[in-house]
Amino acid sequence: MIAAIFHVHWGYYAPSLLKAGLKTLEFTGASYVGAIILGFVLALLRISPTRMARIPAAIYTEIFKNVPLLTWVFIIYYGLSSVGITLSTFVAGSLSLILFYAAYLGEIFRAGLQGVPRGQTEAAQAIGLGRTTTVIHVVMPQALRLSLAGTATMLVDLLKSTSLLVTIAGAELMTQGQIITSVTFRALEVYVVIGAIYFALCYPTSQAVLWLERRLQRGDAISLRRRRILKTVLKLSGDPRTSAEA
Amino acid sequence: MLPSHEPLTNDASDLPPVNGRTASGPVVAIEHLSKSYGDNLVLKDINLTVARGEVVSIIGPSGVGKSTLLRCINLLERPNSGRIVVQGRTVWENGKAASSSELVALRRTVGMLFQSFNLFPHLTAVENVAIGLTRGLGQNETVALEQSLHLLDRVGLRHKALSFPGRLSGGEQQRVAIARALALEPAALLFDEPTSSLDPELATEVLAVMRELSQTGMTMMVVTHELAFARDVSDRIVFVDAGDICEEGPPEKVLQNPTQPRTQAFLARFRGST
Repeated sequence: MIAAIFHVHWGYYAPSLLKAGLKTLEFTGASYVGAIILGFVLALLRISPTRMARIPAAIYTEIFKNVPLLTWVFIIYYGLSSVGITLSTFVAGSLSLILFYAAYLGEIFRAGLQGVPRGQTEAAQAIGLGRTTTVIHVVMPQALRLSLAGTATMLVDLLKSTSLLVTIAGAELMTQGQIITSVTFRALEVYVVIGAIYFALCYPTSQAVLWLERRLQRGDAISLRRRRILKTVLKLSGDPRTSAEA
Repeated sequence: MLPSHEPLTNDASDLPPVNGRTASGPVVAIEHLSKSYGDNLVLKDINLTVARGEVVSIIGPSGVGKSTLLRCINLLERPNSGRIVVQGRTVWENGKAASSSELVALRRTVGMLFQSFNLFPHLTAVENVAIGLTRGLGQNETVALEQSLHLLDRVGLRHKALSFPGRLSGGEQQRVAIARALALEPAALLFDEPTSSLDPELATEVLAVMRELSQTGMTMMVVTHELAFARDVSDRIVFVDAGDICEEGPPEKVLQNPTQPRTQAFLARFRGST
């Protein structure tokens, strides 16, 4: 039965699949970093006390959330080229993903920032921490923990969405699958393999994030600085009862 | 956040140091303080002076501006008018705040404790105590941690140094919060209903720490519903009702022989309910 499905000479296509897989990861990496930066800016604008900052950010979010990603891909790749702005598939594809996912990530970050109780800021101010220090060392670490699950979901979602770039011949996995199919005429076999590759990329990513989330929840020191602090405390106290589980 | 007024000019050179107990005169002086939220006048022309080493308990019905009064002192709330002087420095005068750097200095001078403790949940107890020293004052990490452990020892929680707030009882959290405030060697501590969210048993351990602090000469302002604590520990009781100071004096006078009908009514109601 399985032998009946697998007829394609995969050894022959392995190098091009590897290249396509890397292209998928390039799209994902570039878009994710870009979307996180833009999303964070949007979140800051949306919680700003200034209306002039809040309103444009809210309009942006609604527009990009309520128009399909594929439509944005077409507008940016085909639409812009028709008015003389020609972008490479990589730039057009990444730009679409950035603009689209920034809207979602902005919402996630905003919820995270707003989820940190006001008392936290007040307590930080009350011990004489300045505004910037308060944001960096008190609000942000808590907001990031609150945003982590949603942010990670978006990473996996974004990786899968790169498959839409087959429509502009993005040279990623799905495009490569189409090329192999056009030569071998074995659509079932090819797309099952492509699907398996996507799964192999996405599943470990979601598991890694879950693992990170559990560690953060437990309060494990992730940064080297905090590891050093906790070590110093243990050394200073010299008390065997002083442990994280005390 | 600061109103766009000119900062008040405070020539630091001829003023006593902000921290420590070296300055003379009252630690906190409030003159003609008023505060309103929209049309709702919460504080009406409050005058209150707290001397060095004095423990002042602020009592009164809920929602009459006791907490707001306390929060005005370290400018977590901005008063509308009046003057606030802390350690000889004017930090607020008729709608004008000190510069933001002076605001930070003020907040290191007066520590504050909250009803909901407000420990930083992502940091261990010892890091909560140390953060004001390391991130605020830029002190050496090891020195700050050592001092923080010492302060945790003082509130009886050195063995919980590496516990996260989520694993501490409410009473323990408030004691860590006291250590966190003490780390900056404040001239005064403001307690905003520090035991209101605690079971009586846990409240007792926090009150014990506060009692001990008062014996070391710490200047304290305590908004509280613990009349027994107010009676035993404070030098003076201030009864606030409907936004102004209705009556003040030594505990035995205010609690045993109140002259104002509103104080009498409050105490009768309070004792009736407990």
